[in-house]
Amino acid sequence: MNRDALVAALREIVGARGVLTRPSELLAYSADGLPTYRKVPPLAVFPGSREELIRVVRLLAAEHHPFVPRGAGTGLSAGALAEGDAVVIGLNRLTQILSIDPVNRLAVVEPGAVNLTLTRAATPYGLHYAPDPSSQSACTIGGNVAENSGGPHCLKYGVTLNHVVAITAILASGELVTLGNAAGESEGYDLLGAFIGSEGCFGIAVDVTVRLTPNPEAVRTMLADFTSIEAGARATSAIIASGIVPAALEMMDGPTIRAVEASIYAAGYPADADAVLLIELDGLAAGLDADVRLVERLCRDAGARDVRIARDEAERARLWQGRKKAFGAMGRVAPDLVVQDAVIPRTRLPDVLRTIHAIAERWGIQVCNVFHAGDGNLHPNIGFDSRNADEADRVHHAMREIMRACVEAGGTITGEHGVGLDKLEYMPLIFSPDSLDAQCRLRTVFDPERRANPGKVVPVHACREWTMAPAARASRVEVA
Amino acid sequence: MTATTGTATPVRTTADVVERVREAVARATPLRIVGRGGWLDAGHPVRAAHVLALDGLTGIVDYTPGDLTLTARAGTPLAEIARATMAERQWLALDPFGSPHGTLGATVATASAGPLAHAFGTPRDNVLGLEAVTGDARVIRGGGRVVKNVAGFDLTRLLTGSWGTLGVITEVTVRLRALPEVEESWAIATPDDPPTLDALLARLRTASVAPLAAELLNPALAARLALGDRPVLLLRLGANAESVRAQREQVAMLGDARPAPSEVWSALRECEPPGAAVLRCSALPSRLPETWALACRSTHAVPDALLHASVGRGIVRCIIPPGALTLGDAIRALRAFDGTVIAERLPAEHWFPSKSDPVRDRLARDVARAFDPHRVLNPGILELAP
Ligand SMILES: Cc1cc2nc3c(=O)[nH]c(=O)nc-3n(C[C@H](O)[C@H](O)[C@H](O)COP(=O)(O)OP(=O)(O)OC[C@H]3O[C@@H](n4cnc5c(N)ncnc54)[C@H](O)[C@@H]3O)c2cc1C
Repeated sequence: MNRDALVAALREIVGARGVLTRPSELLAYSADGLPTYRKVPPLAVFPGSREELIRVVRLLAAEHHPFVPRGAGTGLSAGALAEGDAVVIGLNRLTQILSIDPVNRLAVVEPGAVNLTLTRAATPYGLHYAPDPSSQSACTIGGNVAENSGGPHCLKYGVTLNHVVAITAILASGELVTLGNAAGESEGYDLLGAFIGSEGCFGIAVDVTVRLTPNPEAVRTMLADFTSIEAGARATSAIIASGIVPAALEMMDGPTIRAVEASIYAAGYPADADAVLLIELDGLAAGLDADVRLVERLCRDAGARDVRIARDEAERARLWQGRKKAFGAMGRVAPDLVVQDAVIPRTRLPDVLRTIHAIAERWGIQVCNVFHAGDGNLHPNIGFDSRNADEADRVHHAMREIMRACVEAGGTITGEHGVGLDKLEYMPLIFSPDSLDAQCRLRTVFDPERRANPGKVVPVHACREWTMAPAARASRVEVA
Repeated sequence: MTATTGTATPVRTTADVVERVREAVARATPLRIVGRGGWLDAGHPVRAAHVLALDGLTGIVDYTPGDLTLTARAGTPLAEIARATMAERQWLALDPFGSPHGTLGATVATASAGPLAHAFGTPRDNVLGLEAVTGDARVIRGGGRVVKNVAGFDLTRLLTGSWGTLGVITEVTVRLRALPEVEESWAIATPDDPPTLDALLARLRTASVAPLAAELLNPALAARLALGDRPVLLLRLGANAESVRAQREQVAMLGDARPAPSEVWSALRECEPPGAAVLRCSALPSRLPETWALACRSTHAVPDALLHASVGRGIVRCIIPPGALTLGDAIRALRAFDGTVIAERLPAEHWFPSKSDPVRDRLARDVARAFDPHRVLNPGILELAP
């Protein structure tokens, strides 16, 4: 089928307006939240119902045509970009919350439902959806599933994997399959666990059954400020080692604080601090203040100048707003922003942050750190101007060194943003050719023709199979 | 062919495992993978010529208390991990049924969980990474040693609960937690007719208590644990002193609550007589009273059937002592349940196929073929249709 015929067949399914073909219209789908990668897709199709989605995937299956699912496009690893002639399947019209079961604390949602919408729908029952990416007012549950997304409150409550109990997926072959079991135990291989975090390469989530979490009886939000990033890191390590599991434990460094305070999201952070920790404790009311006192003491012992406890909901919301909008605030400071996402063992925070600082100095760039300190999940962000080739080059070098430093500290290359295209080059740093090959094999089980989000996650040239096959070696670098 | 004891030298390293798997492939002699043998009689009968025993592959490889993570070789007994972590007032919050001498590797391979799953989830929620040797003798790693990780496709979740059929798990990294400052357990006498039980569970759901475990026990099991001769709801509380004090008051309002010794939990873990048949029925937690009633009815004619339920998870576990003449009837009755019925251990002649779904079954078969192309790892244990 040529392109015109494909467009006609897709329009037959979703209607004329459900298929975009003009480059000007497709520009909006040429990048995700990471602006350093751009590619205008050849086509984008937007099914308006589950049935339409199924028919679209089956049509592409019959044509052996590649595709890439797309939620809200807030991803930060260029995962939703269309490689080659892949058709973008936009899921943002499938936004329904299909059911809420307040007794069993479950909800069934369509993939395009926005994360925060689900929590809003659960609020009347005293429930919420726990994984709360900072992008939660825009990102979709389907995107969360694909990236196994986290968020500030995942420190205590766990990431997407721990909150999804079943998924109906449509495989690239067009077959529907239910993974997991919402009403009882699951048998056999944990294919649900394998699907979560598969970045759109194993198929498309058609509906997702998630666990809802009761709202905590009591919440205390604290802001501790420090005159050095190291002191903040020491406080973090001390809190984790104490055994208290805060609901959230977030760090922002001086440059981030000042960017936030200079923006419309000013949260009242002390502008002269070199680090603040935003710490939230929640749970049953009784006994909570004992933990608050202990955390306060640990912060002061580590050198906190001040530890402030939000007096009311308004102050709490303001403290959080600054954190959740920190990326946006930094985006105003420089024309381009690269956001990194590495994880290190929590005891290594002080020394790795020192290393990152040294790397930034050496390359003459400004790093802003705003991250999930309690998990050891770093987000070193670098603002720069991509029109300045020399600066862009230095940023790239610095990022590579930072990633290496995190891996050398016993860490990993992504804690929540996924590999997408952006992290492909780092995969061999943490996985052997055999391990990468095993990932390729798993992918092939779900999608033998490798048509679902081609080109992402596993660099095929690094797999043993590929390196051993001379014919393949001769061809250009290819990706799974 | 049934498994015979291994003749080769004991396995001490991952390289030894690679060697043994290579040999199995070369000679077409499949392996029965064994931790310390606790699960030997579980699962479908395995058709294997040799035993690959991992009880020599032991030891804690890395434990940094400040990170709350621990890495150990697969043959390390859970009891050894408990000892090491206890010294730092930490624990691995997994309490699978059976002896504490069971190994970490087997716990992960079988995805076994006990009462603590109520608060802390199952192995899939607690395993951060692992190393395994696939059926074509390659060493693979999934995940890592950090608490958050989305790099690559998730081999860790895939191998957790794969019963050794995709790879011999050789090393595991787990997430630890701090031991609660104070712990105590309470047994609440519980009339178990469905409406009354339903009302009690509804009150438990909304009370200001956050138990670490909540198990309903039938009279036979309650008696065996010296908790009287009526059904009881056994709650395990753990938090700081002030919180536990407040929770205790809430528990007292739920019914006739008596303190239970902390050892009751290990007694529950180890209550099944050797050779017992074990089945689990599960459905939505809101249906627990109904699931419970069905399990009680189905095992009514079995003397000394021990039943307990993880009320928050909607799972009822039925332990049928060996030699029960009515085992076949009980299994038939349980299988009539419209929820999920999983056999944990059964005499070979009673095995039944799990629920099938054509697409899921095909995926499972293809996964098995991709990771164990020569079918040398525990062949038959998951009874995948060819
Ligand atoms: C300001 C900002 C803050 C952020 N904060 C966080 C954070 O705190 N924690 C965090 O984890 N992430 C964060 N992110 C990253 C991002 O929001 C998450 O990865 C999010 O889950 C992506 O959702 P999306 O709907 O935008 O997905 P998209 O970007 O559209 O897609 C992401 C990937 O998912 C696939 N996909 C989408 N829908 C489906 C589906 N239904 N089935 C199968 N595959 C699908 C796509 O192919 C792609 O590979 C942040 C991003 C921004 C811009």
